[in-house]
Amino acid sequence: MTALRRIFSEMTSRHGLGVALFVAGAVLFWVLVLVVLPQIAMLDYSFRHNLPRAELGGPRDAHTLANYRYFLFGNGAGFNTLDMGVLLKTLAAAVFVTLLDILICYPIAFILAHSASGVGLRLMVIGLIVPFWINEILRAFAFRVLFGATGVINGIGQALGFWSTPVDFVRADVALYAGLAYAYVLLMVFSIYNAVETLDRNQIEAARDMGASWWRVHWRVVLPIAKPGIASGATMVFMLTAGALAAPQILGGPSNLWFTQLIYQWFNDAGDWQRGSAYATILLVVCLVFVFLMMRVFRVSIAAIGR
Amino acid sequence: MNRTAGGGLFSLGYALLFFAFLFGPLIIMVITAFNSSSFPRVVPWECFTTEWFGVLIANQRLMWGLWTSLWIGIAVVALSVPLGLAGALALADLGPSWRAGLYAVLITPILIPGVVIGISTIVLWGAIARVFGAGYDSVIFNGIFLTLLGQVSFIASYTMLIFISRLQRFDSTLTEAALDLGATPGQAFRKVLLPFLKPAIGSAAFIAFLASFENYNTTVFTILSGNTFTTALASKVRLGTDPSLSALAVIIIALTLIGAMVKEADTRRRERLRTGRMARAGVYASPLVRLVAHPAAVFILLGALAGLAIWQGGRHDASACRAEILREKQETQQRLLREQQERMRQFQQQSPAVAPAPGNNPSPFGGAFNPNSLAPPAPAAPPAGANPSPFGGAFAPKSLAPKP
Repeated sequence: MTALRRIFSEMTSRHGLGVALFVAGAVLFWVLVLVVLPQIAMLDYSFRHNLPRAELGGPRDAHTLANYRYFLFGNGAGFNTLDMGVLLKTLAAAVFVTLLDILICYPIAFILAHSASGVGLRLMVIGLIVPFWINEILRAFAFRVLFGATGVINGIGQALGFWSTPVDFVRADVALYAGLAYAYVLLMVFSIYNAVETLDRNQIEAARDMGASWWRVHWRVVLPIAKPGIASGATMVFMLTAGALAAPQILGGPSNLWFTQLIYQWFNDAGDWQRGSAYATILLVVCLVFVFLMMRVFRVSIAAIGR
Repeated sequence: MNRTAGGGLFSLGYALLFFAFLFGPLIIMVITAFNSSSFPRVVPWECFTTEWFGVLIANQRLMWGLWTSLWIGIAVVALSVPLGLAGALALADLGPSWRAGLYAVLITPILIPGVVIGISTIVLWGAIARVFGAGYDSVIFNGIFLTLLGQVSFIASYTMLIFISRLQRFDSTLTEAALDLGATPGQAFRKVLLPFLKPAIGSAAFIAFLASFENYNTTVFTILSGNTFTTALASKVRLGTDPSLSALAVIIIALTLIGAMVKEADTRRRERLRTGRMARAGVYASPLVRLVAHPAAVFILLGALAGLAIWQGGRHDASACRAEILREKQETQQRLLREQQERMRQFQQQSPAVAPAPGNNPSPFGGAFNPNSLAPPAPAAPPAGANPSPFGGAFAPKSLAPKP
């Protein structure tokens, strides 16, 4: 508390009382009202029964583990393999999309940082940003046009004779993974770019002079520098993919659910906000635990995120 | 392109492939906007048409959503820019240990899934409404209010990141110099720090508006029964697609490209002014070139081009071509029908002995359901070659009989 007061007085002497009050008030409002309290409310809600409005505050309005029990065991005996399977599949798919993005983006980030220059570089940066000013929904729609049964890919494939009947890319989830990987390319490129850019060109040339092959240069010189950037980008891409809702709704196959779609169904179709809150809490906790685990494994700190 | 790590040819090829991946889907979507086929596709190409733009504008739900989104976006900018600035200033003045903690708290809204943010917002305000006994018509149950709060909670983190990166380049001795020269702390803030942050305020506002306008995951929960542009768009895409969405993409891409080009012209002009190349370079000696390269001129030129395209597109009438396509389709249908009839007639003439029933039976079951088919196999059963069944006569009465 004394530390906070000292900081406040320091800020007052630097920027004036008005600014200090504004900063303190705004940060307090943001942290408390917009971030912490909603999460607590959701957590509390997830431990409650779904009651009609008249019974709220009554004797039956008590805390319960029923919603979490439902996630684990379903209605009857045995595990709720359906919902847990959806969660596992979502996580696995998110990891897959993240790896795909790292593979796609690492070379282009390196080219941006060390190969391109002048007009080429400017054009590339604009070319990277422009597609991401277009609405997320429309980007998913573009992939539906591309991968649909009468879409362009099927048209080309059939015309060239690779396959004779239309391939159902939507049911095979190809469209979904491609769309998700596309959606978050920008975040990954700029995260890796920011890290790789700090690399001194002389180090690469020194390694080349010593006779290292180009993949060895990347493995031993560039990758260690790029690691924080890759971790930061991977964290964002993973969380965004696991929490994606629009792309699975538009591009997902008919028999294929994303965990966020389960949450959406509990809220909007079943009207059971309590169970939806429980599922949302599960998603949040599982994703955060996974990310922190990965950060521990790869020895990266949270301060690297968002740089 | 250098050859120090990964050859130049590889770099060039990879960059080309990458940008093909980035722009391919968008280009194809743009093409589908002008095809008159009622399902968005490139092949088969039917007619060049501009009617999908009209269909788009006639969509009441989308247009109302557009207004809602604009208002929400402006309000989100007004809230999240000051919040992000406050967060960045607080982080700049904190000690290392507090700094790491607060940074973690303020950055998590970016990491939390948008779905979770939306849900937690409506749950919290629902609880508050119960405590205060607010009715469903109060502001707490207003979708725009809730959307505002939900979106600001994480968009403020984006703006904060922009302010942080700008503040890192701030020379704090400037503030100290101002204080030494007798400025009050408030004056130093307003006259030294804020002007320095001005470009960051601009880009933060832009990013915040874009993020608010595009957001789906949070908004789809917090908007309750209402609609923003993006949620209306999503429900339209989910229910069924028609090329009016491609038309929308064309509009957005055109606006984006105009914006990017004007921005580029502006950056170049500033750079030239800064480095003094304007005075030296021969090209810019001509007043005409200088006028054309000015961002305002670029904007006017591109705007005029877009206006011309709209005017021309509005006059384009695809109805003749459409009628032609319809006639062709009908002709094809007629032809197929005639061919079918012809085939049936030929078939009838060829094998009059096949069908014991009156008339011919084109059934794929090869006459298995004919009244006679269950009768004991007659000696005069048709030869297997005359059977038109795709099952190769498997359903022929004799096929299950024991082989002699």
